[in-house]
Amino acid sequence: MEHLNQNLENLRQTVPDLVAALWNSSGGVLSIVPSREGAPSARYHDQWVHSAYDPKKEARSWAEQQLKEWKPGEVAVVLGVGLLYHVEALALACPADARTAIVVPDLSVLKDAMGARPLGSWINRIQWVTGTPEEMATQLTAFSSPLRFCTYGPAARLHGDIHERLQTSLRRIMAAKAGGQLHVAVVGPIYGGSLPIARYVVSALNELGHRVSWIDHHVHQGSYEALGSYREERHRLMLQSRFADVLSLSTMAHLAEDPPDLVLAIAQAPLSLAVLQHLRKKKFLTAMWFVENYRHLTYWQQLATGYDYWFVIQQGGCFDALKRAGASHVHYLPMAADPIVHRPMTLTAAEHQEYGADVSFVGAGYANRRALLPQWLSHEWTMKLWGNEWDGAAALSGVLQRDGARIDTDACMKVFNATAVNLNLHSCSGTGMDSQPDFVNPRTFELAACGAFQLVDDRTLLPDLFTSDEVAPFRRTEDVPQLIRRWLPDTEGRRAHAEASRRRVLRDHTYRHRLQELLSTVGLSQPDRIGSILRGDRLTTGLKERAASVPELLPLLNRFPTGQRIELKDLAADIRARAAGRQLAREELLVLMIDSYRAETKDLV
Amino acid sequence: MTRRALLIQLARLGDLVQTIPVIMALKEAHADWILDLLCPGHLEDLGRILPGISTVGRWDGTVWNRRARQAEKEFRPEYVVEADTDIRAITQEPYDYAYVLNQHPRAILAGALLAQESIGAMTGRPLDPTLSPWGAYVRAVAKDRSENRIHLADAFCGMCGVSPPKHIMPIPMSSVQLPNDLDPIGQSCGPWIGVLVGAGDPERLVPAMAWTRLIAGCLEQLQGSRVLLLGSRQEQERASWILASLPSSLVGRVWDTTGRLSLTELAQALTRCQVVIGADTGPLHLAAAVGTKVIGWYFARARVHETGPYGQSHWIWQAEAVKREALHLKLEREDLRRMEFLDTLHVSPVQWPIEETIALLSDGSAASVDGWSLWTSHRDRWGAYYVEAGQAPVAPLQREHIWNELHPTAV
Repeated sequence: MEHLNQNLENLRQTVPDLVAALWNSSGGVLSIVPSREGAPSARYHDQWVHSAYDPKKEARSWAEQQLKEWKPGEVAVVLGVGLLYHVEALALACPADARTAIVVPDLSVLKDAMGARPLGSWINRIQWVTGTPEEMATQLTAFSSPLRFCTYGPAARLHGDIHERLQTSLRRIMAAKAGGQLHVAVVGPIYGGSLPIARYVVSALNELGHRVSWIDHHVHQGSYEALGSYREERHRLMLQSRFADVLSLSTMAHLAEDPPDLVLAIAQAPLSLAVLQHLRKKKFLTAMWFVENYRHLTYWQQLATGYDYWFVIQQGGCFDALKRAGASHVHYLPMAADPIVHRPMTLTAAEHQEYGADVSFVGAGYANRRALLPQWLSHEWTMKLWGNEWDGAAALSGVLQRDGARIDTDACMKVFNATAVNLNLHSCSGTGMDSQPDFVNPRTFELAACGAFQLVDDRTLLPDLFTSDEVAPFRRTEDVPQLIRRWLPDTEGRRAHAEASRRRVLRDHTYRHRLQELLSTVGLSQPDRIGSILRGDRLTTGLKERAASVPELLPLLNRFPTGQRIELKDLAADIRARAAGRQLAREELLVLMIDSYRAETKDLV
Repeated sequence: MTRRALLIQLARLGDLVQTIPVIMALKEAHADWILDLLCPGHLEDLGRILPGISTVGRWDGTVWNRRARQAEKEFRPEYVVEADTDIRAITQEPYDYAYVLNQHPRAILAGALLAQESIGAMTGRPLDPTLSPWGAYVRAVAKDRSENRIHLADAFCGMCGVSPPKHIMPIPMSSVQLPNDLDPIGQSCGPWIGVLVGAGDPERLVPAMAWTRLIAGCLEQLQGSRVLLLGSRQEQERASWILASLPSSLVGRVWDTTGRLSLTELAQALTRCQVVIGADTGPLHLAAAVGTKVIGWYFARARVHETGPYGQSHWIWQAEAVKREALHLKLEREDLRRMEFLDTLHVSPVQWPIEETIALLSDGSAASVDGWSLWTSHRDRWGAYYVEAGQAPVAPLQREHIWNELHPTAV
């Protein structure tokens, strides 16, 4: 009680409201236990929150690690309260003008800390962030400085869900405010389902105002397939694997010639682990959007350590598996739609005739679809089946369109728009419903974006993305005919669902949203690199504000349009372009001198 | 009128040592001027003991590199402020003249930042420089690999608008001490032979086996001789290999100093030798600059007429290239791209002048070796030149002509 009184009295000078709230909180969350060294340590249930041997030493070691990453001008945001040993160590080790904030999800824990031991005057240098996750995110954003998150795991573990919500809120705020222009290199696959997604990603990044280098390996599809024409499998595999290595190297050459801020690979991008490791050595930042079912395509196991950031369409087991395989950052990023491509269409009568039906299904002939779709044929409705890989599906031959030819995106959109009830059955390898129905496929978002009504097999991640007023989910195969009967005559009900689902996509689920989310995630964890660009610190306006102390630089900066991102090389190039026949200013010479060292950079290839 | 001038030499040790004649020439021409030196940080201590230099400015390439890496990630006005502070730490007031001996952009920019007028390899503004007549001459010689009778160090003088110095005095080393355990070096009688076991450029590395044979031969044939192994920390392994390869009876007469000496201590150790043998490396030039005779083995791209040690009575074994005439004839029938091969031409010897070097050391006799020619250095009013052993020391005539043609740039 004595420590509590003393510490709160001390703290009252700077944060009286917090002190009042602490008096009212109950405390008693942590069990205070003496450590071997003597200082109090703490346990939460049966887990130690600080070292059982020497919590101070442990905290100093933690703080040293944080200081390696913490850059001048950044606010260190500590996640994990505990008995504040780690915050104390950080506060005492950092420069006097450095700012440290601590997120306090539960005042009772802080009260325990205040009562456990005497705390020094350093506590008055800490900024205490309290409230709901959303309120805390707003407070952190108000610091107007880059945030460097310092997570003290043993204590942060107590409030993992709140920290997750806090970060989500911060990402949203950051995404909404992001104004800077990044240079993103998008590395696409040679072919396959992720190819159109790579294109949507490129469009979204362009829309967001970033500079995109699109490394499109689709142009190599012909060669890749030609190498697959050898009779012997080992020849095919060896040649195609070598070819993928060559493409991997060509990606590296491309990156060397025009280095981006971020390399964003889309699933199936031909980037080998060796190349990824080389890129990391050369300080390239890499991310992979793995728009695949991790249980079916398992090449992530070989690449997990190669990418700095993984974005996946599944959670839980997928996160664990990637982390076990060595991935350091794994984030959930569901699929989306591109409203420019996936849109409501006004069809001609002929198109209605060709593409329309009471019930349609578009997709490839996976085993579960071959088994289930025949059960949903009925004389009560017309049905059309579109897509390829349906050879041998005799029961469906009567509804299969265009002899099972692959249809392009435009035709696909026409089918969605012309169909009363679109069936959306996620593929899986079995013959029934997906036994692990977690991720939501692109088709769900595309149908919704078209303003098309859909019956979709239920997914564990679906409720977070669409409500049952937006899409109509089914859990059992035998329910589908009944649902078709329910919805087919209900034109208004279908329209209401379809319009609601389209609104939802436009509000939350476009590729633009996803890319904002992706970049904000990387930006939050890289406040001095991507974060600084996204915050617009490198835009002319931001730089001009920072150049207040160097007014001689303003004439140089004024030459760039407001809103344009400025890099060292841009400044130097501008000076060079205007150098002929005039005396250069001292600041120009200094910029050129720094740039002469920059130019001596990486021999990437 | 007293002027302040800054000599900018941002290249390596060998280049700094080759700058000594121009320092002396500038002091002869402008005795009342204050002449400062700007050199890389690791050469700063050596710069301080060069005769004629008032103060030495330190150019910290590591700091500039780090700043550039940070600025590449995110350009901040603060980096320009820091850069300005670093430049002002060299001088608050601009020099009257900067003598810029390198053609590298950063040396040219340093000249523009630090002085009112830059003189040297380039003329004109920093971003549209043109080669000065002497700069063009040096570049033409390096590119064409043609006969060159003006030594690089003398060409530096030309660039700075002065004639080669009348007098060359060795770098005074009296103020530098060796570590106690190495102090006996050179104190006992008998010739002390310094061997530079390494080279910064891998293509200039003499095989360790060749050094072993040379050292063993010297120790066996030159009575009372001692050998000093000289080199950096990176060369310790080579030195250990050489020591391990020598007959055990000779090892006691070999002193291994690799990796143990600072640059000025190395210079002091070089003064303790009667002769120093090595490839075309900075320490070989340093040995000549402290007044020790040197024997150079020049191969790969090294050419005696361009970068032979400056001074008198040095010996250079020059590995001979394929006869150029023959090469030209062959290339005439091939496409022009092959001509580029000439630029990269370098010579890899198949044998080394080991016995012949020992003979030079024992009685000064100049024997011949297949694939090598032997040259000895001289100096006259037009600077240093080399004459093939056995020939009269007649200065090549074209030197005077070149000086008359190019020299007019005077300050």
